[in-house]
Amino acid sequence: MARSLPLLTAFIALIMSAAADLHGAETVWSGLVIAENVAQPQAIPPELTRIERPLKHLFGYNQFQVIGQSRKTLQTGQEDWLATSKFFGLHVDAQGETEAGYVLNLKLYKEKELLLETDAKLNKRSPLIIKGPQVGSGQLLLVLVVQ
Amino acid sequence: MKTFEEKWTAWLDGQLSGRELTEFEASLPDKAAADAERAEAKKLGTLLKRELSAQALTNDEFFSHQVHERIARESASQSRERYAEVSTWWTIRRLLWTGTASLAVFLVFAVFVIRDKNPAEPSQYLTQILNARVDPVVSPNATVSMFEAKEDRVTVLWTEGLQSLPADYAAK
Repeated sequence: MARSLPLLTAFIALIMSAAADLHGAETVWSGLVIAENVAQPQAIPPELTRIERPLKHLFGYNQFQVIGQSRKTLQTGQEDWLATSKFFGLHVDAQGETEAGYVLNLKLYKEKELLLETDAKLNKRSPLIIKGPQVGSGQLLLVLVVQ
Repeated sequence: MKTFEEKWTAWLDGQLSGRELTEFEASLPDKAAADAERAEAKKLGTLLKRELSAQALTNDEFFSHQVHERIARESASQSRERYAEVSTWWTIRRLLWTGTASLAVFLVFAVFVIRDKNPAEPSQYLTQILNARVDPVVSPNATVSMFEAKEDRVTVLWTEGLQSLPADYAAK
């Protein structure tokens, strides 16, 4: 019994540290997506496969192309990052982690001009889609997914 | 030197002889009564011999008797154990009652938990939009709304009236 107690303690500590590592090693994918209706639509990018159905159903487009993206692995839940295309920039500022996901502040810039700002609790199992401005015949969408 | 009692016992058993027998019989105050008593003693001795030998168990009978006694003892002990098992607290009936009672308690708690949960509360399993704003100078007529597509577990921030941009802005 006296010998097994340290072993048990070490085992629990190992499990807890592994769990903490797993907990803090989640990746948030942020994407700038142009949705369009075209005659010959290209295959949907793999990052969007998970939400293909709601994308098509809610927005009514048949092609989705990623024009800018960022994949950020969160360790502390306090990181910030930028997903950019030639003219747009999506700044994401993580402001803490909750049991269900991350609190994020999102800012969409057109060059240096702030178009939209929002705060959201991004759930680990629930993607966020933001409808941005009309771009040509298509639509800019912002997508955030915890992978 | 034998006492009178010793000589009497020997005389009853017919173990006195010769001069000793003659002297003892001569010393008896009532010879006829003594003879009658000796006859009775002999009869009793014969009877006891007969009866005692009839009661004595042979080896086979003794063994058989012991086996029977042991079987009876073990049977009694087994039936006591069986009775003890049957009379334990967790009878089938009590188990059923306990199960039913536990289920009832669970249902009561479940009902309370479900009633306490506010259905209007946003789901913990979907992304929540806390607030959203657009630049009123750049897009003065813009509006924002949000909704959840629960079947797809997706949350959407829907904007209308944002400044439209030329197709060039779709460049990577």
